Amino acid sequence: MTDLTELSLVDAADAVRTGAVRSVELLHAVWARLEAMNPQLNAVIWLDREGAEASARAADQAVRDRAALGPLHGVPMAHKDMYYQAGKLSTCGSAIRQDWRPAVTATVIERLAAAGAYTFGGLNMAEFAQNPTGHNKTFGDCHNPWNLPYITGGSSSGSGVSVAARFNYMALGSDTGGSIRLPASACGATGIKPTQTRVSRYGVMPLSFTCDNVGPLCRTARDCARIMTVIAGRDARDPTSADIAVPDYEAALDGDLRGLRIGVPVNWFFDNADDDVVGAFALAMDALAARGAKARKIELPLMDAVAACGGIVSRVEAAAIHAQWMRDCPQAYGGHISGRMYPAYAIPAPYYVEALSRRGPILKAFADAVFADVDVLATPTIRTNLPTLAETDIDHGPPGTEHRFLAVSANTRPFNYLGLPAVSVPCGLDSQGCPIGLQIAGRPFAEARVLRVADAYQRDTDWHRRRPPVLDTVADGKAARIGLSIA
Amino acid sequence: MDPFLAEIEQTIARWHGIAAPNEPARRMAADLAEVIHAFEQQRGALVFEDEPASFEAALRQTMER
Repeated sequence: MTDLTELSLVDAADAVRTGAVRSVELLHAVWARLEAMNPQLNAVIWLDREGAEASARAADQAVRDRAALGPLHGVPMAHKDMYYQAGKLSTCGSAIRQDWRPAVTATVIERLAAAGAYTFGGLNMAEFAQNPTGHNKTFGDCHNPWNLPYITGGSSSGSGVSVAARFNYMALGSDTGGSIRLPASACGATGIKPTQTRVSRYGVMPLSFTCDNVGPLCRTARDCARIMTVIAGRDARDPTSADIAVPDYEAALDGDLRGLRIGVPVNWFFDNADDDVVGAFALAMDALAARGAKARKIELPLMDAVAACGGIVSRVEAAAIHAQWMRDCPQAYGGHISGRMYPAYAIPAPYYVEALSRRGPILKAFADAVFADVDVLATPTIRTNLPTLAETDIDHGPPGTEHRFLAVSANTRPFNYLGLPAVSVPCGLDSQGCPIGLQIAGRPFAEARVLRVADAYQRDTDWHRRRPPVLDTVADGKAARIGLSIA
Repeated sequence: MDPFLAEIEQTIARWHGIAAPNEPARRMAADLAEVIHAFEQQRGALVFEDEPASFEAALRQTMER
């Protein structure tokens, strides 16, 4: 009998649509896996069992009624706990909002529901989406299913873990400095940060108005393509969303990379990279070359400006958003969260305005120079072997721990300031058995192209299908029942 | 206390009414010297007419066709 938790999102959705599998069966398979795995991984903050069961039964009835079915019909999902659903918990991973229930529902949640999906819970995350590791003072640290003492990547920690551990077919993450791509890389999932403005952020917890992005973490690039086709596009409730036509991303996945020009940066992205990462990256380039892509080295312009300006914008915006809580209840935050925000209050406004004002010219100059010569850029998503939770624990670690912590997102942050789309796919394991990610970035609104590269790579490799060993050490459904709050 | 850090703490307290919440905050505040240095390297790059809305225009000008 097929293990339903091993299905990709696309396969699960198609199985429900054709009647081969009932949505209730998917949901129960997810519950069993979750109950077995979550006590070790701590990826879930709350569950809505009754609501999910009702949604699953309704989805199955619609199939029996031969109703019109959407591309995600009957697929259970849980998301990073910062996507508002009216009346349901949305903790934002924080003590400050641990009982907070929004009055509105995020546009992306509505679009997923219109496509037939339903949510079953809220996932663990970095407090207010503010770390790249998965530490969380209030709900507990999230653990990497490939090697429990190691970081999951953040801030969408529960999103990466739940997908990798096979108790979620897809999870929304958010990405302000790498928070989709980092957990995708660290957990062996596939995740895409879309072009800035490509996906509505209405009803999503803000961290940085300038650099926040909404996107999926899934098992495969094809899964991500299906989700992107559903969630992308103009939203009148988010005036920053782009009014640019959304293609059928999944239909564009043809495996054809002939003539594709891949740029491999010689600066920034490999500084102090570990051998495991460099080796896995080289093998990934070989796989892409075998499909007809041609890689060439490229010196990226303006990287110092990108780093200087990008580091200003998101920090200042986060500090501004949190200023009142930083005055009223600073101890409610994890030490590293308040500690990171604190210095931003001393950054002068002219620095911030300059960083914002130069973003357009820098993007234009960068894109004109780079994409005249190459179609996409390829880099490691994380340039070092994964650190442990202890090695990056600023709250309890020695001075200097913050530098190891911040190094995790060195390769993802530049694409947030530039606003470019970037996908991360698993491409190997490091010497601790933790996944390594390959990052593919492209021009603005080139989601179809970067997903096509990622999908082509996954046609020839099996890193995205590999299972964390811990899945085979815990008997499904035998773990103690988990104590979770009910929405 | 280091004079630079003392100045930072005083500035934040005066302008925002926020005190350093913990030791990591002080350590990371000391790292602001690196932020200043990085920005010093960029001086002169801002053009008089540059304004934030140009980013959306740049996205469209450089987008995939």
